[in-house]
Amino acid sequence: MMATTAVRRRRMRDPALAITALVIAGLLAFFVLYPLGALLARVFVVGGEPSIAPLLEVLAQPNHRAAFFNSLLLATLVGVIGTALGFLFAFTAARAGLSAGWVRFLDIATLLPLISPPFTTSISLIFSFGPRGLITHDLLGLKGVTIYGLSGTLAAETLTYFPIAYLTLRPVLSAMGNTLDEMAMSLGSRRLHLFRTVTLPLAVPGLANAFLLLFACSLADFATPLILAGNRFPVLPTEAYLQITGLFDLQGGAVLSFVLLVPALVVYVAQRYWVGRRQYVTVTGKSGSAGSSKGVSPAARILLVGACLLVALFVLYLYALLIFASLVQAFGANHTWTLDHYRVIFTEGQKAIGDTLIIALIGMPLGGLYGVLVGYIVARGRFAGRQVLEMAAMVNYALPGTIVGIAYLIAFNDPPVALTGTALIIIACYVFRYSPTGIRATIAQLHQIDRSLEEASESLGAKGGTTFRRVVLPLIMPAFFAGLGVVFIRSMTAISATIFLVSIDWTLITVRILENMTELALGPAAAFSVFVIIVVMIVTAAVNALLRRLRTGQEMPVAGMGGG
Amino acid sequence: MVEAIATEPGRVVRRIATALGMAVAGISAVLSAAQAQTQTLNAYSIWPENWARPMLQEFEAASGIKVNFLRFSSGEALARVMAEKNNPRVDVLFGGPVETFAAGVKEGVFEPYKPPAFAELPERFREANGHWVAIADDPLVFMTNAKFLKENGLKAPASWEDLLNPAYRNMLQMADARTSGTAVTRIFSVMEVNGRDEEKGFAYLKKLRQNVQLYTKSGGGGTLPVGLGQAAGGIFFIVDALDTKAKGYDVEISFPREGIGTAAEGIALLKGAKNAEAGRKLIDWATSPAMQSLYAKHKINFVPAHPKVETEASLAGILKQAKIFPIDDAYAQDNRKKFVARWIAEVLP
Repeated sequence: MMATTAVRRRRMRDPALAITALVIAGLLAFFVLYPLGALLARVFVVGGEPSIAPLLEVLAQPNHRAAFFNSLLLATLVGVIGTALGFLFAFTAARAGLSAGWVRFLDIATLLPLISPPFTTSISLIFSFGPRGLITHDLLGLKGVTIYGLSGTLAAETLTYFPIAYLTLRPVLSAMGNTLDEMAMSLGSRRLHLFRTVTLPLAVPGLANAFLLLFACSLADFATPLILAGNRFPVLPTEAYLQITGLFDLQGGAVLSFVLLVPALVVYVAQRYWVGRRQYVTVTGKSGSAGSSKGVSPAARILLVGACLLVALFVLYLYALLIFASLVQAFGANHTWTLDHYRVIFTEGQKAIGDTLIIALIGMPLGGLYGVLVGYIVARGRFAGRQVLEMAAMVNYALPGTIVGIAYLIAFNDPPVALTGTALIIIACYVFRYSPTGIRATIAQLHQIDRSLEEASESLGAKGGTTFRRVVLPLIMPAFFAGLGVVFIRSMTAISATIFLVSIDWTLITVRILENMTELALGPAAAFSVFVIIVVMIVTAAVNALLRRLRTGQEMPVAGMGGG
Repeated sequence: MVEAIATEPGRVVRRIATALGMAVAGISAVLSAAQAQTQTLNAYSIWPENWARPMLQEFEAASGIKVNFLRFSSGEALARVMAEKNNPRVDVLFGGPVETFAAGVKEGVFEPYKPPAFAELPERFREANGHWVAIADDPLVFMTNAKFLKENGLKAPASWEDLLNPAYRNMLQMADARTSGTAVTRIFSVMEVNGRDEEKGFAYLKKLRQNVQLYTKSGGGGTLPVGLGQAAGGIFFIVDALDTKAKGYDVEISFPREGIGTAAEGIALLKGAKNAEAGRKLIDWATSPAMQSLYAKHKINFVPAHPKVETEASLAGILKQAKIFPIDDAYAQDNRKKFVARWIAEVLP
């Protein structure tokens, strides 16, 4: 007892930990709080005087007001439909007694949208559902169908983000196990009644959580609407982007992104502090018997599996179309096989590929390390302001990328901190935006074991270094690799923040894809997308293999990767 | 003892930092070594990559100067050079319609420079003080999907009024004035055929809006949908329209009898350019027959600006039947901002 308090007191005064904490705090102030402050200043300060005139001016424009309501409508619909789809998949995976192979198939189909650039499916959708679409026109013979607008954007975003709902809900439904159902059934409850009275209520927090995650993803997505929303359905991130890149109206862009900030923060707070705290755990004292499901009747099973297969096959069809588009001369006109587009991306696109890989590879270890350090300080440090530090570390992750990008552009465009146009600014953007996965994983790992274990190790005479190596390091290694993997994947696929930060010296594949798509060079756009998907798959597999080597029994938390 | 807990990660950090530092140093050493051997030049190109790349590669071969370029739609490129005014990242703004360059002159982002070809060019192909010089001429055209015309019993549109036909409802694609110079050139064309009467011009644009399916970010953005029949038609620069035809899509190119605008395509040196000398060399080359006689070879359907270069025969044949007027740079300079703002407020929603 006495010994432990002594150890604790020493830990409090631990200079290295304090210095690390200070450095992290400084970095957060510089790369998170300062840009956000600069953005707010641009919105609320006119000529050195506080003013809400710019805000009112922007809100006076009907187009911008429409964009606000459209954004909320789209996000709500994506949230509801995506959560329903995710629940369907999770419920099927957990209860329909599928063999491992089938579950694997569903996993692959749902993983694809998560690891590809966020607007790749838009290419395929346009070709499938436009006025001359493969499906609408050639298959169904419909005329004058237009994909541009709410319906097209909704379809693309739902298909892109529902896997996040699936990954969020699967553990929830699996954890319930069948034991509870069996008990209820043996008490004479009917299946549907059981579903209504037991399964659904238990899943409510999970459903709310999935809904909020999807809502946030949709709210932040700017590339999909840019391609699919057309002009009658403006949304905030896209409007803010056009305001800045097209008209160089920094203030207008800042105001629009501020308007976007409000719902984004509401959702984040709700997700973190309201839903996040309510997880029902069903304790039965027996582990759920896997497989021997009586949860669904045979008819329901066929229905569930059929519905999932349909969706999964549709997703795979979209990606097959993408691969096809990358391998033919001119998609829709000349279907001669060719490798030209791949030649183009490896010659003319070489710079974008090189830049992206350099940025991703530098950001990867930095992001992993930063995640582990922040997580360690939050979980093990003991100083006032830990919560504040953690909150600050989450800010850039919670905000839509458009806001972060515009804030960086405003904050780092002029001396003394003229960083726009450098690789550093892009790397910083990724590290501070996508490390929360690593931070949370570290905290979760460290919470798994009590501090007393380390103290025990020390009181048994192990040197501090030994304790760290033997006890702490094995614990946080998985978190380190998980965090690093996520930073890499996002560096390869994200666009909404970094579109504002690319320059003549440093450009990114995702930005080239978008540029190619707007120039309608669909072949190279598709080839680039396929390349990104393959690279990301390889890295994901490698990181997961590493995590298995570390015998942690966990996979990379891809679910924390929503949003462009 | 306990301190080691924190210093252990410290050591890891140091190692990673050292490794990273070495990697970065290595990369930058390689890069600077590469730079030392050749002069380099940075440019924003408003021309799509498939036009800009072959031209700039020809320049590299001819001069030994390495060109890095990034492609942006004209609104975006203009926004960038304005944003970077105090610390220019590029030396040259390459290609793009005259109205964009006129706006740039107004913002004071260009460094005047008169290349050797300056004196030989007609007046509309050069800014009086040499703030920009033209490298090509690019008329707007109407482009429609031939199959759509047949199915609806229509002839290719031969007047601005024809585009208001309800048959085209929701089936036209054209560029977005927030980002694209093609769109701004289109707006100025409409103003000119309406005798520069803004009210009449905007009344027409609002009527045309009914038939627009999508305003695209980039000027050529609608060409492929028209080629594929996803859209029925639109207003494009001839260079993009003829390229669509050349790719094998069944499209018709036509001109309105009231006339349509043509934009001089410019090149300009940026104020404070870091490689000004290399930039001037590119301007010398691009404004002369050296580059413009290569258009035909690379199947790029720009009309050469230099009087000594012949327009490619089939292109000249197409243009012979058309009434084309130049977009006036002074008028564009004075009104661009106002028209774009008004278009966003009144036409777009």
